[in-house]
Amino acid sequence: MSKEESPQVTRRTTRHTSAAVSKTAVEMKASDTNPPTLNDLLYGEEEKPVSLDDVLSTFPGRKIQILELMRILGPLNCPVIPLFIYGDSSTGKTSIILQIFRHLNRPFVYASCLTCYNPRILFESVLNQLLLHRKNDANGYSSAKRCERPSDFVNFLREALVSVTTSLQGNSGKSGSKKSDRRANGNMFYLIFDNLELVREWDKSSTILPFLFNLYDILKMPEVGLIFISSTSPDTYYSSMGYVEPTPLYFPDYSEDDLRQIFMRYQENKKLYSSFLDVVLRPFVRITRRVDELSTAFSQLYKKYCEPLSDPGVVPNEEMKRRLFSNLQPHVASSMNDIFRVSSQPSTEVGATKEAKRKSGTKKSGGSEDIDQLDLHMSTSAKYLLLSAFLASRNPATLDASLFDSTGGSDNRKRKRKPSEKSLEQKEAAEQELLMKGPGTFPLERLLAIFQCITSVAEGSLEEEEEGNDWLGVQDGDDSLMSDVLLQLSSLCNANFIVKGASCPLEGSTRYRSTISEDMALKVARSLKFPLSKYIYRR
Amino acid sequence: MGRENPAEKALNLLRRRLCDPSFIFKPFSDSPDSNYSKLKFTISSSITEACNNSILLLGPRGSGKIAVLELVIRDLLLEFPEMISVIKLSGLLHSDDNCAFKEIARQLCGEHQLIFSKMASFDDNSQFMIAMLRECGLAHKTIIFMLDEFDLFAQITANYFDCKSHKARALNLDEVKVDLHTASRIGTEYGLQAECMYTSFERLLTLRTNKSLLLHSIFNSLQGKQRLLYSLLDAMQSVASQAVVIGDADQLLEKRVRSRFSHRKLLFLPPTKEDVQRLLEHILLLPTDSTLPQDYAVEFNAKFRNILADERFKEVIKTYMNTDSAVNYLLKFLFRAVSNMDLVTGFLSLENFKTALSNIQRQPKLECIKDSSILELYILVCMKRLEIKEQSSYNFNSIMKEYKSIHDSFRTSDYYAQNVCLRAFEHLLQRELISFTDSRGNNQSIEFRPVKLLVSSHELHQGLKSYRSCPNGTLDRISYPPVGFETNQKSLLRMYI
Repeated sequence: MSKEESPQVTRRTTRHTSAAVSKTAVEMKASDTNPPTLNDLLYGEEEKPVSLDDVLSTFPGRKIQILELMRILGPLNCPVIPLFIYGDSSTGKTSIILQIFRHLNRPFVYASCLTCYNPRILFESVLNQLLLHRKNDANGYSSAKRCERPSDFVNFLREALVSVTTSLQGNSGKSGSKKSDRRANGNMFYLIFDNLELVREWDKSSTILPFLFNLYDILKMPEVGLIFISSTSPDTYYSSMGYVEPTPLYFPDYSEDDLRQIFMRYQENKKLYSSFLDVVLRPFVRITRRVDELSTAFSQLYKKYCEPLSDPGVVPNEEMKRRLFSNLQPHVASSMNDIFRVSSQPSTEVGATKEAKRKSGTKKSGGSEDIDQLDLHMSTSAKYLLLSAFLASRNPATLDASLFDSTGGSDNRKRKRKPSEKSLEQKEAAEQELLMKGPGTFPLERLLAIFQCITSVAEGSLEEEEEGNDWLGVQDGDDSLMSDVLLQLSSLCNANFIVKGASCPLEGSTRYRSTISEDMALKVARSLKFPLSKYIYRR
Repeated sequence: MGRENPAEKALNLLRRRLCDPSFIFKPFSDSPDSNYSKLKFTISSSITEACNNSILLLGPRGSGKIAVLELVIRDLLLEFPEMISVIKLSGLLHSDDNCAFKEIARQLCGEHQLIFSKMASFDDNSQFMIAMLRECGLAHKTIIFMLDEFDLFAQITANYFDCKSHKARALNLDEVKVDLHTASRIGTEYGLQAECMYTSFERLLTLRTNKSLLLHSIFNSLQGKQRLLYSLLDAMQSVASQAVVIGDADQLLEKRVRSRFSHRKLLFLPPTKEDVQRLLEHILLLPTDSTLPQDYAVEFNAKFRNILADERFKEVIKTYMNTDSAVNYLLKFLFRAVSNMDLVTGFLSLENFKTALSNIQRQPKLECIKDSSILELYILVCMKRLEIKEQSSYNFNSIMKEYKSIHDSFRTSDYYAQNVCLRAFEHLLQRELISFTDSRGNNQSIEFRPVKLLVSSHELHQGLKSYRSCPNGTLDRISYPPVGFETNQKSLLRMYI
């Protein structure tokens, strides 16, 4: 499993550590009480320069972009105009720029707008790195400077940059004095802002964004280069404030061939994996071209693919390929339809169900597919409550009486008339409305009423089926059902199965809405042996 | 490391030039009716005559207003040492008046070797500024205020007056708005002699009781010291990156300002063809008398002159300047072209410029469409079909219905489960090819929130066409054209007829 994922893993780790790379390096050393130096602003382990060929081979399919980037950054001590790198997620923007800086051995400051989630943190993080400031016990984990406003930031930044660049110039002046020391190359300094698209969601985005884009003109320091990384294109940044657009560089999504190269890396048995890719890559690429999603899907499938083989090192021939293919065929189709599931370990069944459950809880939409193997860890009353919430959301309130009256819900079907032209139209419109509006809302009283009805019905049906052999148990259960039903409701709300909406302006009471899909409701009903379909109103 | 080769040195020099606005605008300074000369004349005369003055520099973004102004100030500082101090403010940073006064105080302190207190209050700072202005006036010292991004200062004041006028309800509402808007714009940009201020701003001054903005203190300072030398320079205006908006905004300001201040307004026009030619020569020709090897520089220049004379090169420049003709915009392009220079041969070629053009002029939406997977394209097409059906609003569920109907009628092989489609749908949202129509609605799950397309039908059409004829292996991926696209294209064409 780790084999296929290894490219992904390395990417992840680089990205993860990248934000704090200079900082973590600093913090590691902090215990050694080494005074921080400018060299902490370099990236990567010491004494390990990376050649351009290494960078190119690490990122298959990115040759054009890497070379273009190198050209824009230019040779040593070249000033650079602001650069805007954009492309979909998982196209290698951040990792490539960091590796290139490692190769060039030039100092930079990296700030991601994902981790620095407001202007103040962003500014202070940049300044901390620039001023070689470490947060530690002694200074109470405070920043070097307190700065909230762009105007203060510019003043501090200019001060810090001037001191950094002058010391860089001093450095390059006496270069080669100590050969073992890894020094920054040149006297250019770079500021990298990652995940810029998130700034648009900030409170003060209307001032911060133009400020960042204009930072180069405001600073007027040719020895400072600015690099913005964003997952959305420059045209999504238009605001009422204009600015001179930074020069764009696009990272397109990987093509099928690129993807093949990426997945072939780090494979032990290249022949076998290549025949595997022949089978799966094409259909999957039709759905998504993201490396991260594909790699999770493939790692599972490859294991399935290898299952019949005794020796994983075998070189497949035509006949074997065919056999393996027919073996894999059924899995591909099913895997394609839930390609995006968070991979759960099949060996640990408990973990899997937990995973699935949590997922369906937090992400309402993703839930339906996982229910098959989902063992619902819910009390009976919670299940009933869920069902009644579902019914209350789907069925029109006016029908409650006819559905739940003593004679049962089945007889009102007889009153069906032949649909006329007009009613068909109405039906269509209503259907449209249902699609648009989603599940309806309902007050608490209605929920409780339905709950009471269906529990009593279930009780009845149980009696019929089981000849009342545990009549007592059901009765007891029913009592306890009613006692803590409100508690159950609030826990269902917390699990996001039921959403508490705004209060109704007329009645003033809180209204609820059920978010579970019909599939899931049916499954819950099945686990209770409750005839849910009888009660769903179909238009 | 050894000696750099001349090509690298030349590249470094060119890039340095392109990043240095004062170098770029140098050649425009010698002619007598250039903006440089006019600006220099106005400022130096107000310095020597010790009178208040104000100038508004107008022009699209990136036309070099600041650069020229800085050139002028640099020269004036040499000409009149000890007589000028410059305060630079930017609307981006200091549109908040508190910030502005703090910054003014900080810069004044820096200029005059005073100790700046961070803790000083707004009141202290404004008092300090007035005191400083008075002192400078007595010492025959000129203070030049540079207000970058001026419209941002004006906006806030204008907004302030808008709500003031609502409160006051003194006059006809519209009239008040227009008048105060103009007045406040002018008021902030010009610190004028009080006599002329009083006449122009009579009405404004009646409302003057509790204005706590920049305007307020400028008035204050004017009242106090009539002989104060006091100029506020450089107003910039925000220009969105479309040519139409530029003209519009220009006119808006012009109309309002023309009546009184036409003689103190400098217009920065986009460079003419000859200017561009001169600029190109100025920037990209290497000096023959520098540390560069002379024969290399000569050869470089000869080759570049060849390119300059080439019709194809002129065509490239023309296509590029069609979108935006500001100087900075040209610089961006030249930078890209220069960085494409081949370091082995060490000369610029026409190819460099051509690749720069294709690199810099991008069509982001089209790229996004090309990057989408087939399933994502299906969803886009479904949305388009819904739009053609004139369905006013639709959400994921209705898209799924359409998707199913496409599948039913055309029997495509690409039919995936709903949650897979939902994921593709989320990808589209991330790519910003589609978006929710309402900004909030957190209560609803994604399936039910109404969405809209962010690509025009033309772009989609183009994208689909180029997707199918995409050379690198995509053609056989869609070995048979999905019929859904076919019909969509037809219906699109129908729409266009």
